[in-house]
Order: sequence, then structure tokens, then C-alpha cells
Amino acid sequence: MSAPSPDAGVRQGRWPAQVLEIAALRGAGSALAQCAHRLGEALPGPGEVRASAPRVSLCVRPQRWLLLQPAEGPEAAARAHAWQEGCGGLAAAIDMSSALSVLLLSGRPAREMLARGCRLDLHPQVFRPGMAASTLLAQVPVTLAALPGGLLLLSPSSTAQHLGEWLEATARPFGEPGTLDIEALFSGETATRYP
Amino acid sequence: MLRIPCPFCGVRDEIEFRYRGDASVARPAAQADASEFFRYVYERANPLGWHAEWWLHVGGCRQLLRLERHTLTHEIRAVAVAAAAEPAR
Amino acid sequence: MPGPARIAQGLLTDPRRPVSFRFDGRQLSGLAGDTLASALLASGRLLAGRSFKYHRPRGIVTAGPEEPCALVDLLTAAGREPNRLATTLPLSEGLRAESQNRWPSLRCDVLALNGALSAFLPAGFYYKTFMRPGWAWERLFEPLIRRAAGLGRLEAIVGRHAEPAEIVHDHADVLVVGAGSAGLAAALHLAGLGLRVLLSEQDSVLGGGTLLDPRWHAWRAHALGVLQRLPQLRALTRTCILGAYGQGVFGALERLEADESARFGGQRERLRVIRARRVLFACGATERLIAFANNDRPGVMLAGAALAYLRRYGVAVGERCAFFVNNDEAYEALFALRAAGVRVVGVVDRRAVSLAADRAAAAGVPVFRDSVVETVRGRARVRAVGFAQVSGGPRRHLVADALLVSGGHTPNAALATQLGAPLHWEAAIAGFVPALSPGLGALAGAARGEGGLAACAADGVRAARLLALELQAGAPPTADAQPFPPDERQTPLLALWDASKGPRGKAFVDLQNDVTVSDVHLAHREGYEHLEHMKRYTTHGMATDQGRIGGLLGAGVLAAARGVHISAVGQLKPRPYAQAVPFAALAGPEVREHYKPKRRLPLHAWHERAGATFVSTGLWLRPLVYGDAAGWEPVLAEARHVRRAVGITDVSTLGKLEVRGPDAARFLDFIYANTFSTLAVGRARYGIMLREDGMMMDDGTTSRLAADQFLVTTTTANASAVLEHMEFQLQANCPGLDVVLSDVTDQWAQFAVAGPRAREVVAAAVSGIELSNAGFPFMAAAAMELAGIPGRIFRISFSGELAYELAVPARQAETAWCALLAAGQPCQLRPYGLDALNTLRIEKGHITGAELNGNTTPADLGFARMLKAHGDFVGRHLAARPGLQAEERLQLVGVRCLSDARLRNGMHLLEGTAVGPGLGYITSSTPATADGRWLGLALLSGGRGRIGETLRASSPVHAESVPVRIVSPHMLDPENTRVRA
Ligand SMILES: [Zn+2]
Repeated sequence: MSAPSPDAGVRQGRWPAQVLEIAALRGAGSALAQCAHRLGEALPGPGEVRASAPRVSLCVRPQRWLLLQPAEGPEAAARAHAWQEGCGGLAAAIDMSSALSVLLLSGRPAREMLARGCRLDLHPQVFRPGMAASTLLAQVPVTLAALPGGLLLLSPSSTAQHLGEWLEATARPFGEPGTLDIEALFSGETATRYP
Repeated sequence: MLRIPCPFCGVRDEIEFRYRGDASVARPAAQADASEFFRYVYERANPLGWHAEWWLHVGGCRQLLRLERHTLTHEIRAVAVAAAAEPAR
Repeated sequence: MPGPARIAQGLLTDPRRPVSFRFDGRQLSGLAGDTLASALLASGRLLAGRSFKYHRPRGIVTAGPEEPCALVDLLTAAGREPNRLATTLPLSEGLRAESQNRWPSLRCDVLALNGALSAFLPAGFYYKTFMRPGWAWERLFEPLIRRAAGLGRLEAIVGRHAEPAEIVHDHADVLVVGAGSAGLAAALHLAGLGLRVLLSEQDSVLGGGTLLDPRWHAWRAHALGVLQRLPQLRALTRTCILGAYGQGVFGALERLEADESARFGGQRERLRVIRARRVLFACGATERLIAFANNDRPGVMLAGAALAYLRRYGVAVGERCAFFVNNDEAYEALFALRAAGVRVVGVVDRRAVSLAADRAAAAGVPVFRDSVVETVRGRARVRAVGFAQVSGGPRRHLVADALLVSGGHTPNAALATQLGAPLHWEAAIAGFVPALSPGLGALAGAARGEGGLAACAADGVRAARLLALELQAGAPPTADAQPFPPDERQTPLLALWDASKGPRGKAFVDLQNDVTVSDVHLAHREGYEHLEHMKRYTTHGMATDQGRIGGLLGAGVLAAARGVHISAVGQLKPRPYAQAVPFAALAGPEVREHYKPKRRLPLHAWHERAGATFVSTGLWLRPLVYGDAAGWEPVLAEARHVRRAVGITDVSTLGKLEVRGPDAARFLDFIYANTFSTLAVGRARYGIMLREDGMMMDDGTTSRLAADQFLVTTTTANASAVLEHMEFQLQANCPGLDVVLSDVTDQWAQFAVAGPRAREVVAAAVSGIELSNAGFPFMAAAAMELAGIPGRIFRISFSGELAYELAVPARQAETAWCALLAAGQPCQLRPYGLDALNTLRIEKGHITGAELNGNTTPADLGFARMLKAHGDFVGRHLAARPGLQAEERLQLVGVRCLSDARLRNGMHLLEGTAVGPGLGYITSSTPATADGRWLGLALLSGGRGRIGETLRASSPVHAESVPVRIVSPHMLDPENTRVRA
């Protein structure tokens, strides 16, 4: 894939990820962190996202984490199972793979475009790579996470089509649209224009 | 429009929150009589000045916040997480 | 004929790019860079419209957004857009505009006779006339007013108003309002410290007053150069701050330039919502009018406007200009016009002493000191100016075609006052200056009462330093500062509001709403002494210009009438919006089909292919019925098939909440009126949930999947309300409980298979479960596999038939659904929609939103026995209130129609021949699956005691009255043999 020109528009993609919600029970505290460590998982701090291909984990609610990885492959089932077996008394592990759709966004005008429906300050110096937040976008609840190569966007699957249509329509004035896959978000830096 | 500083999420617009009523009244104990519950549900002070309120951050961390809002100036202070669970950051 | 004309090269106009446009049907030509107003003046046209009440001819008075008179209708492909300001409307090729409020034409306006009738149209006229009933209102005044009053014409928008709109959210450390010398200097300073600055300017270019003074052009060019190199500084031109809303929130309207408008699909405006940590009001001051007789004649213009037309567009507003001033700043226009070759016939200055007047006199301009203009001669344009010494003496005349007036400058305080800033009187400028509380922001420049561009710029830097300190910004910027050209020394002004002499000739304080000095006097005489009362009595300051150029005049006239100083009267406080805003811009993109988001079922595409007709329920799109045949027949066919054989329906919209943790059961016992801690793993139970006031909130089944894991289902409509209710109760009232709540509504697709043959279908499709009545009885719940997909199965029924609900992860919904359809083929399994589902549940007496209407108690709906006797739960105490136990309350019953007529939801239930509100009403109704006769559910006073009675169901609006029998709500299989089969 050739590198897109810097003046290209918003690039969008989807990631059919497995999404596991880990919700800590009372007093799980450091035991949960140790348990996660044993499973080889990192639980990021509040408002943080960690991306290490092919996995993403983020925290936008206190004592709750969303763990994402490719939905296909034996690892997906193994991961959910490992959490349920390994940390059952410390946290609830809930499959949200069908509940949340994962959208990917990059391109210089991506954040400028999001300002048409998102009330968060997405200035690249404010919402920096490694940060995650839950908010509303185009009237639907979303979770945004800034990865090195762009933004990851989780939305309820029932409103994913609405959001996709909104993104497509809103991106139109911002130049030639492009496509994107998850690999591009783990690496690579994308210049961001922000008004 | 109010801007509410959520201890977990940062300052957010009012639209992300659901107002959950007067936080200056506490739910009476189970054995309390109906008149105490009547006061809990229906009687409100309507103060001019600082007022304790519940706001649920439905568009963010989904935590219940207890805060004080000045009913004249809309200034907001003393925002705290009501949650029982683990303390937020 | 003398008059305005283009005489020089303007700063903004391009002489090589002529632009043609039409005004009132006449083809005219201007230049690129013109406004409609400057192009009209350049074409020699003064007349721009007729006035609101008296239909007096009006010209162009200002050169900016403060314009009270030159309002036009803009005619576009999309329709007629009224009340656009000619003074800010950029000229574009092919622009078409019309003057307003004239009939039949601008030049010959029949209704100008209103001027003659004006003795009958004083302030307060509307109130007085309304109070005097009789022929006069109906036959004379109302038709007259309807024809005469008002400004632009609003046309009904037919068809789609298709232009796109958007709302953009902005953030900044500091919002700087106004890009004059103060705003520019401040913005550069703040951005130089690394702060994020949003600089908004309503003009089409940055610079404000520096545009009008050639000595400042080098400074401005330098400033704009620096600005371009500061990425943290965003400058928005054509952007008006509409209002200040507290907590750092501001609304703004940006008008898009042509090329950007084209890029955004023809969008014309953009609404911005700005959030800033601090605001810096550098929004300048507005020159004000002076009241004197006929101060509204076309050709009477503000002195600053004349300077702006000359500098910006190269247009001289007259050939023989007279001035009437009380301050030195106004002389800038005089010197500029003279330098451009325009004849200045004289200056009438209220003051005895003035440095500027001395300079004018030295240059050979006749200066009449200690004098005031008393009247203007001419109707459709100024022909002569009558003036006299203040101390008396004969009236003298100057022959002139333009009278340029300046009564001083009023700081633009509207936005600051919206933030609660008090106003204090500043004698040096004869104006009110706001004082902003620290922590909100600051004021700078002319908005703070400063005069002179250099003083304003220096004040901007001072204010910027202050804010930078508050925001703890970094080190001061490197010395890159361009020196400010020094201000000239000036003599202070002398306050002057009203130079009119007695009642002869109208002296206006508000040109847009036609309010005169004598109207203010009348208000005072009739007791409206407070400024805000006078405003409402006379409508002074209530027009779209918000009294920008005359507001303080009214206060001054009122102060004189009351015999107090103006500082005791105060100043009008304009509310948002600062200018007219199209509704389309306010609505933004969330209109029509985008008004609210749509939630789609995981099987939406399948339902579409199956020919479903969809219905919106809340945000969801649900299949109402399959096929597009109208009427009840297709619905009844679907429902009958369920009763006779088996049907399948998509119930994925049900709210689904996982409740987990060691205290999950205790929590549910608190949330629900009935008990869940006794529920066995692998079983489901119907539950009812109350509000704290004892009313029903929601119902649904809850299954225990493990000792510490429950799956709660809610009604579709209440799903988010129930989640919020639980979150609130858990966090506010159950601080000790260890419970985790997760909304899994979108995770699970859920299908109900219902009908006598349901077991055959399900048994053929699922594995991992034994489905016999004993092995998997009514209200059982278990894990299962469907087409290899792990899922859950529940034996619950909403239809009154043997039924199962199967849940699979939504991503695999279609595979699972199709597997069920294939397995059901031998049993003629058919899908059914929401209407059939409703028919089935009404026959069975199950409630939904119509019965859970917020006014019904468990007892009303027949659930009294479900309330647990021991233990606390939400609503327990107030549900027991004696008043809620009264027998005459509305109780749930069934109704069966005794004729072939139809029932309607909302029909009143009445006894015999009674009329009136009746004993209750029908909440849900449907034709019966058995015989097509209508039946329904109703809330009826003392209903359970009336079972067996015959009443009338009446809909007066449909002129329908139908006999009905009151029956038990369980109209189908009351023993539940079918569901337990
Ligand atoms: Zn929050």
C-alpha cells in the first residue's frame, strides 16, 4: 500500500475485534493486577490505552478495562477462558465482542471532522497517543482511544451503522476518503491537522 | 449549559450527565415510617445558593457524582464520586 | 445630482473584478470585496428601505453589524431570507436582494401616510388599542398594522430545506473576541506564550480600526504575518459571538466564504460552540447617534461609517458633507474625506473647545462651536441641515447631501453583561463600562473605554499579561513587538443625547423600531420610569439591532425626563443572540432523518430482505409486519399462525443487563418488589420494579445464570432508564454491596419461538439441552448451542403460547436465525412482527408501556401479591400509602367489544348515557385472533369490581360509541395451560 498523500482526507476502517470487559469486584485491587500480570495482560491506568500489536487494552471507567484483540483465531477463545478461570473471584469478564463495534480513523483532518459531533477537546496536544475517553459522538455513546497511527472508536453495535453513515457524510468535505486497517494504528505516525 | 468537572473524566458538557435529583436528602433507613419516606421523595428546600445534587455521568464513566451547584450563578464545587466501589483516581 | 459615489481605491475592493447584482429588480454593478451597502452607495443609491412603523424612507446609517435600517430580503435558490444586513452582506455575482416593508415600491410607498397618521400611533399604542374594544380595532387598526408593521417577509418553506448545516465544537485557553488593535495585540501576546487562542472577528478581515488608519497598515501587516506562524492561534473571521453562556461557553455563528461554502455542499453558516478557560473581550465600541428632528433621513449617517466606506471601499457617502459631533475622533472622517477630495461644508460641534476642531478650522473647514443640529430638510434624502447655537440665536442652514453624526462611542458590553458583569459609568467617554469578575476573563481596548488605537493595543497587551498570569503560561515572548503608531492628543467629548427642540419633527432614538424622543417622554409620563419598563413600553432596543447605536440615547432622554444623571438610569442589557440566526444553523445537522440516531437490529438486513415494514420505537427500527399489505389482515394472519402452529420474532431490543458479584441477589431484592435471592440457578422469574414513590417503573424476566450472576431483561422502552436507575441506586443507596452492572443489550440477539409447535422447532435446532416439559419446564433458563453457536435458552412467554427465547451473540444472529427457520420449516415456522406480538400479548393480558405509564401501582395492575412482605426495596414505603389502595383507582381490566365496531386506544369508558371524562380509558386494543372482534386492555375505576358489566367505549373525536363488556385482563388461557404445555 503506497503512503497516502498528506492532503488526503479521512481514512476509515473497521476492526472485527474480540472485546472483553473486565470489571473488578470490590477489593480486587492489587490481586487483580497480579492476576492480570500472570495472564500476560497489562491493565492501563484511568483514561489510558495501551497498544501492542495485535492487542489493545484501555480504561475509561474506574476499575473496568476493555481488552481487544483480533476476533479470529484460537487466542480469542483462550483469552476469555483464561480470565474467567484465572481471575473469577476478582473480576467479572464479560464478552462484549458483539456489543461494541470497533471503528478506525486516521488522516490529517480526522480530528477536525470529529469536532462536528464530539464535544471533547481532541487537539493532538491534548488528546495524545495513549489516551482514551468515553463521550458522545453524533448523539451516540463512544469510546475514543488515541493510538500512534490514529484513533480507535468503539460504539454500540446497534448504532454502528448510524455512526458509520455520519462519519462518511461528515468526512466528505475533508478530501478524498481512504481505507485503513488496524496494523496502521499500531505503528506509524500520522500528521494531524487540527483547527 | 453547565460544564461539570468529573473526577474521572475531566470537565465535560452537561449533555453527558443525567440529573438524579437532590443529594441533600438521604434515603431513610428501612424501618423508617412512611412520613419520612414522604419527606425524602417529595419535600425540597429550593435554596438560593449552594445546593447538593446527584449527577450520573451516563455519557462518560457512568459514575454517580455528588456536587454542589450554586443555584444563582451555576458555579459548581465539591464534586465527589458517590460510588461505593473502588475510589476513583 | 449630487450623492454618494466611488471616488478612490478601497482597501477591500478589487477594481478589476466587477460584480453585477440586482436590487429591487434593477441591475447594478459593484466590485469584488464590496458589501451590498457599499455597492449601493457606489451606485449612487441612498434609499435602502422603509421604516418599521411610519414607513419613512431610510438609508444606510452604518457600515457594520450595528446597522438599524438597511435590512434587505436576500433571494436565493433556496428561498427568501429576510432581514439580512446590507452593511455586512458580501456582494457576490448574481446576488438578488429586495428592500423591505414598502408597498408597492421603495420610492412610492403608499403607506408612508402612516407618517401622517402617526399621531394615532404613539408608543404603547398596541396596549391601549387592545384595551379599547370596538369597531376601531377590527376595521381600522388591525388591517393597517398587518399591512404596515414588520420588517422582512418570511416565506413558508415548501419542500426540503436541503442546505447542510453543522455545529462545530471548539476549545481554547483564551477566546479573544474582536480583532482590532487590542484583540490582535492580545492574541499575539497570548499565543506567543504558548496558549491556545481562538480569535473571533465578525468582520470579513482582521484589523478593526487599524483598517481605517493608514499609519497602522504596516503594523497590521506585521501582526497578520506573525499570526500565520503561530499554530496555536486560530483566527476566525465572519464569526459573530452570539452569546456568553457562563462556565466558559460561547455560541458563535460563522458565515462561510464562497469557496468553503462550496466545499461544504452549499452550507452558508456554521454554528460554533466554544469552550474557553478565559475570555478576552476586545470587542470595541459602537459609535452612537444623536437625537434631533429628522435624524433618520437618508444621508444621515454615522461619521465612522463614512470613514469606513471611504477607506474600505473607496466610496464617498456624499458630495457635500456636513458633520454634527461632540468628540474629536469623528474628525478623522472629516480629514479623510477632505483628503479624498470631498467637500466638507461645515462642522457643528457641541463643544466650545476642541483640538480637532481647531485643526479643521485651520484647514479652512467652517466650524460652528457650541452648536447643535436641530433639524434636517429633505424627505428622500438630506438637502440641508438646520443648526443653532446652544445658547440660542437664529437657526442657520448648511446645504449638504450627507450629515455625518457622532455622539461618541459606547463600549460593546452585551457579552460581558451576559456573564453578570456590572456596569459602571465612565464620564471620560460618557458610557458604561463592564467590570468582569476575575477568573472569567478580561476586557481590553475600546470595550473597556480606551480611546486611540495605540492605547487600545497597549491595553490588549496589559490584559493578555493578566490572563497569562492567571493561566500560568510560560515565559514572556521574545521581543518581536512592532511599535504602535502614537495616538493623537484629543479633547474629551461632551455628553450629548438629545438635541431636539420640542415635538416638531420626529427625533429618533431607535431607528429600527421607530422609537422617538417623545415616545420616551410619553413612557415616562405614564409611569414607566425604569429603563427596562420604558424599553418594553416603547419597544426601544428590542429590534434586531438591539439598540446598538441608539440604546444609550433612550437612557439619556429618560434620565433627563426623570431629572437624574444617566448613571442612575443604566443601560439596556441585550440578551443572546447578538444577531439574527437562521433556525437551520441552530438546528445543525440533527434534523429530519438525522434528528436522532437509529438503532438497528442485528438482523436488520434480513428483515429488510423479508419485506418487513419497519416502525420506529424509541431509537429502534423494528419490523412491524412482514409484507407491505395494509390493514389488520396480515397482522392477524401472523398472530393466528402463532396460535395455531408456530412463529418466530426478533426481540433483541429488550434491555439486557448482567448483574454480577457476591451481592447481586441482595441488590436485585432491593431493586425489585419481589424476591430474587430465592431464585434457583437455571431458573427465570418475572419481576416488577417500582420507583421510590411506589409507582410501577418496569417489568421483565430475570434469570439466574450462576449463584452470583443474573441476567435482567427490561422493556425495550425503559432499557436505559432502568440501567440508570440501577446505577443510581447502587451508588447512592447501596454503598456496601459488591455488584457489577453491565449493559449487554447489544451483545445478544434474542428470538422468541412461540406456538404449540415451538418445542419441535427448537428441539430440532438446538443442542446441549433436553427440552421435555419436565427437563426444561416453564421459566427455566440454560446454556445451549444453536448451529454451533454457544448461546442461552429461556422458557418464557409473552404471547400466551408455549414459547422459548433463544439468545446468541449478535454477530452470529443471522446464522442462528436461519438455522431456526430451516429447522422450523416442517412446522411452517413463520416470522411475525411487532403488531402481531402486540395482538398476542394483549389477548394474554401482558402489560407494556401503555399500562406502565408512570401513574399505575402494582395493585392497579393486579400485582399486589407480588410485593414481598419482608425486607426493604425501592418504593416499598410509598406504595403502601392509604390513598394508593383506594378501590376507585384505575385498575387493569380487559374489554371485549360487543359489536363489530373497532376499539381505539384512548377511548373513554362510560356508563349508560353518561357523558364526560368517564370511568377510565382503553390503553391497548386489537382485533382478536379467534374471531376478529376487538378486545383490549383498559384502566378502569374500581375495574376489578366491575368485571361482567357492560359499558360504553366512546371516542367523541371520532363520533364513535361502542358497547363493551368488562372482563378479566387474562382473556386467553387464564390457567396458563398453553405456556406450560
Ligand atoms: Zn465521568
